[in-house]
Amino acid sequence: MRAYRAADEEALRARSLLKDWAGQGFLTEAQYRHMEQETACDLRRTNIFLRIVLFFFTLVIVAAVVALFFTTFLSRTSWQNQGPFFLIFAALSYAGAEFFLSGARFYRHGVEEALTACSVGFLCMGFEALLYSGRAQTQPYRLETLVPTAGAILSLWIWHRFGLPYAFLAAMLFVPWIPSYWTSSQPAQHLIVAAIYSAGLIAMFAIRAPQRFTYLDDGFSIAEALLWLGIYLAINLQVSLLDPRGLWLGIARSPAEFPKPFYWTTWVLIWFLPPAVLTRGLRGKDRWVIAAGLVAAILTLVTNKPYLGWPRHTWDPMLLGSVLIAAVLYIRRWLAGGEGGIRRGFTAQRLSGKDKVWMSVGTTALGFVSPEQITQTSQPANPEFRFGRGDSGGGGASSDF
Amino acid sequence: MTIFARLDQWKESGAISSEQHAYLAGLSRHEPFSIFFELNVLLYAGVLAFIAGLGWTVTTWSRQLGDVLVLAMLSLLLAASFWYCFSRAAAWSRAETPSPNLIFDYVLYFGSLVWSVELAYLENRFHILSGQWDDYLLVTAVLYLLLAYRFDNRFVLSLGLSSLAGWFGLTISHWPSRQDADYRPYAILYSLTAGAAGAILHRFGLKPHFLSTYLNIAANLLFWALLSGVFQSHGYGVWLLALLVACGASLAWGLARRQFSFVAYAAVYPYIGVSSILVRDIHGDSAVFSYFVVSGIAMLVMLILLARRFGREA
Repeated sequence: MRAYRAADEEALRARSLLKDWAGQGFLTEAQYRHMEQETACDLRRTNIFLRIVLFFFTLVIVAAVVALFFTTFLSRTSWQNQGPFFLIFAALSYAGAEFFLSGARFYRHGVEEALTACSVGFLCMGFEALLYSGRAQTQPYRLETLVPTAGAILSLWIWHRFGLPYAFLAAMLFVPWIPSYWTSSQPAQHLIVAAIYSAGLIAMFAIRAPQRFTYLDDGFSIAEALLWLGIYLAINLQVSLLDPRGLWLGIARSPAEFPKPFYWTTWVLIWFLPPAVLTRGLRGKDRWVIAAGLVAAILTLVTNKPYLGWPRHTWDPMLLGSVLIAAVLYIRRWLAGGEGGIRRGFTAQRLSGKDKVWMSVGTTALGFVSPEQITQTSQPANPEFRFGRGDSGGGGASSDF
Repeated sequence: MTIFARLDQWKESGAISSEQHAYLAGLSRHEPFSIFFELNVLLYAGVLAFIAGLGWTVTTWSRQLGDVLVLAMLSLLLAASFWYCFSRAAAWSRAETPSPNLIFDYVLYFGSLVWSVELAYLENRFHILSGQWDDYLLVTAVLYLLLAYRFDNRFVLSLGLSSLAGWFGLTISHWPSRQDADYRPYAILYSLTAGAAGAILHRFGLKPHFLSTYLNIAANLLFWALLSGVFQSHGYGVWLLALLVACGASLAWGLARRQFSFVAYAAVYPYIGVSSILVRDIHGDSAVFSYFVVSGIAMLVMLILLARRFGREA
């Protein structure tokens, strides 16, 4: 069912590890050259920048082809009757992706990725057009759930077959739409979404265990981390109150729309979940799950006051920053106390060149943009006193007062 | 064949020693497991959160706290940060210098941001620069760039370059007859200045690893500025020509140095610019969509060939 042979993907993984180890000096150049030859495979890859550009141009082509087709042949056709054609384009896009995969042996090449993304989009548009247009009143209400369900299933299939992590994310993003067609009860919707993610998580535990340390492990790790994060976001009602759809429509939501027992149960859960996720991540030395646990922990700290209805203070971010910095200092000191800077199998030392690359890219990008984000607008307490917004960099000091 | 089987095979064939085999097999099993990246991300988030809270607090409570207390607090933070950096830093070197420890870079970043907050506060309360923000930005940019080169810090280098960009922009904003188009030559001038400065410093061997930071920032600003000229309804020919020249230079540099971000810039920016001009003169939806089909396929084929020839490595 997987699009690529396991031997090829293992070879790619070995190749990537060898490159990293050689970069770190764990292998000599001669050793690297010799061993690299034994990891050859016929999959065609490209670097991340060309991959993104190829993705972009494939999207442009597919969108233009479809738009041209509809403009030329179906300009007078109703939206409902266009539905089957969207489904045909979904099938063609998916077939194109399979062609590039089997014929051209593309692997994470941008082209086949964009085609799979188009197939999901067209499938949803096709169902949308077929099911609701013009006869929405006569259709059973719950039938509308087919659109996100189809999107989620196809995304999941693409994740499974092509191994694209963001396809799993796409599948998860479809899930919150599903219960909105079943019930108008907000607590019920949250519970259904959390239950679907939990079911996915249990399935993930089962299928992941035998794949530890194989080429599939990274993909499963990302999927598990996303599921943990999805469950957390489904139960953190303060985050869900920031629903972008509601904000966009100008619909203000408040905690009052939730029953109190439900509301306070979720408050308990948002404190319980981050340590549980972190513990699992640390036990399994699973980078993505650890990251999900950290994000959940920070979100809990940030949303706790709104949850309790307490007022925010201007120094709250300073406290949060201090907690984060203090935690890092403590962990670093604790790890440094171990033999060779290692304790319980963990170290604060850099062991991979990838860390350095990501740090380098991150520092350049974040250093350039972050000053615009970190300063605050003036507070109502002193309406006559305005203090920088940092419009032009320089740590937020370039703006007017 | 898993990585463990391969390592066993390489050990048996003598390609790697027993010690290397043990160490690499351990790394493949995450033994030890490095949390270097996670600690760095947390430190960065912590510094940003602290500075955001500091700015917010100073904004809101400056009247209640009083200038003396606010300035004393900010000065103390600034002095402590810079004292830490100057006392812990290794001797200066032209080459890339590793940080003495995990938190060093973030202390410097923190100190640099506190500097901005304090200077902004001083200006707001005492009008030291009498509204001459461009002077402040220039001084700040110079300070940041000096600190970046002294301590080999990309965060502060990016801050310096962004402050310098702010200085270019703010200088023009004082002009009474300023129009948006006035910014374009200065954005181009800034891009060329930053790019040239990076190249010259690289040539002299001064922190040569900073070059990619200079060039990426300069290239993006340059392309945006040129694109804004191409988007004009009249007199866009010169800007289009300049865009194509920049595209050629970016492509040549990217392929020669195997820096594929520049190849990506050379593909996307000119495509947007040329398309914007051609689409203006094409009438009818079908013709426009046909253009995108044909041009998109042409770009795709060209890029796939380019990827086969140059960009195989992931």
